[in-house]
Amino acid sequence: MTGAPDGETPPRAGLAERQAALVAALVAGGEPPAGFAPGPLAATRAALLRKRAGEVARHWPLLAASLGAGWSTTFANWAARRPTVGSLRDGWDLARAMHDQHTLPPAAAEELAVREARLRYDGLRAPRPRRVPAVGRAGGAVAVQIAGRVRLLRPAPRPSTAPSFHGEGAPDTAGSASWISD
Amino acid sequence: MTGPSGVGIGWRPEIAGFVAELPGLRFVEVVAEGVPSSGPLPHGLAQLRERAVTVVPHGVRLSLGGAEPVDPARVAHLASVAQRLDAPLVSEHIAFVRAGGLEAGHLLPLPRSREAVDAVCANVARAQAELPVPIALEPIAALVDWPDDELDEADFLTEILDRTGALLLLDVANVHANARNRGADPLALLDRLPLERVAYAHVAGGAEHGGYYHDTHTDPVPAAVLELVGALCARQRPPALLLERDGHYPPAAELRAELDALAAAAGYPAVT
Repeated sequence: MTGAPDGETPPRAGLAERQAALVAALVAGGEPPAGFAPGPLAATRAALLRKRAGEVARHWPLLAASLGAGWSTTFANWAARRPTVGSLRDGWDLARAMHDQHTLPPAAAEELAVREARLRYDGLRAPRPRRVPAVGRAGGAVAVQIAGRVRLLRPAPRPSTAPSFHGEGAPDTAGSASWISD
Repeated sequence: MTGPSGVGIGWRPEIAGFVAELPGLRFVEVVAEGVPSSGPLPHGLAQLRERAVTVVPHGVRLSLGGAEPVDPARVAHLASVAQRLDAPLVSEHIAFVRAGGLEAGHLLPLPRSREAVDAVCANVARAQAELPVPIALEPIAALVDWPDDELDEADFLTEILDRTGALLLLDVANVHANARNRGADPLALLDRLPLERVAYAHVAGGAEHGGYYHDTHTDPVPAAVLELVGALCARQRPPALLLERDGHYPPAAELRAELDALAAAAGYPAVT
């Protein structure tokens, strides 16, 4: 129909470019590529985030569990425009971000502290085991690693369930194991 | 190395104990990227090999449908895993999983265009040149369709299989999902696929979510998928059918019942 020269098909972006645009739209907040129906695209984006949330939960069980029913939404909101860098790092980055915002629940803070003690993670490359003794801290939790063994020295403080006079009741350590296997 | 036969199950570390105790099991599949190319094999897998259970490595991250050439290191890994497991074949998907330096984290569909057929055939040929065994290609389930498809699904798949000489890994749940989400007839697709090329079939569970059927692998196998297994077997029974479960593992009795239902639908002996 269009008058392309020599009867060739009109120029269009090559497969590589078009695949890149689709992936960017699905995982990096890119513009939806032209011609794709928006409904299926949105459903695919949501399905990918649910799948990622499940995979990150396997690497960060306490992070996911401590957010309970809110886990999927919390993760999806955080991850919607962040392409995955692997489940371990995705969960780590999210835990650090929540820690910085003071929204990391105590059990998740303990999990993060244990990880920080065990592995060195610069936020850019794959985490590596620490060779020397190290301390990991997050949200009041303190973990120590010596010769590859990690111990949670101090659990993260729990908000008291019943409001007490002084606001900060005695730390409720019920349910916080002193050892967290990693 | 014997070809896949009868009813099998996707081996996953979480259900290794369950799989190890299936008395009639002759065939499992393992995610190839999860098997190291050196060092000890995962314990349960080594045991299955000792029992002469066939183990088929199933790749999920080769990105055979990517416009760029397939990564030689990923092909080499798949080849070495096939060798270690003494596998009769390997399998991968007609899909791409990364582009422009970004990982999609899932299998994405190709446009059903001549250009995409060329790209996937070139990548399959690159893989075949390095693999010690045949490859079976699996069509995926997808919610999105590209706006400029030139071929219908049957022609697209048949052309890829004809040009590569690859076997077909037919996922019955994917056929169900695509037909359901596109408003198409799954039997019409079965009638046009080269069923004599099926090396084995996948069967998995899924769920309705937001108006779409999702092939989740974390839900029970719906009756409609089992019925489609029956329809497939009435046309041409695959040598083997494999149950895929990837999370939310049910109690052993439920998983056993799913395997039994699959065996009954296909007319194969129960493996439980």
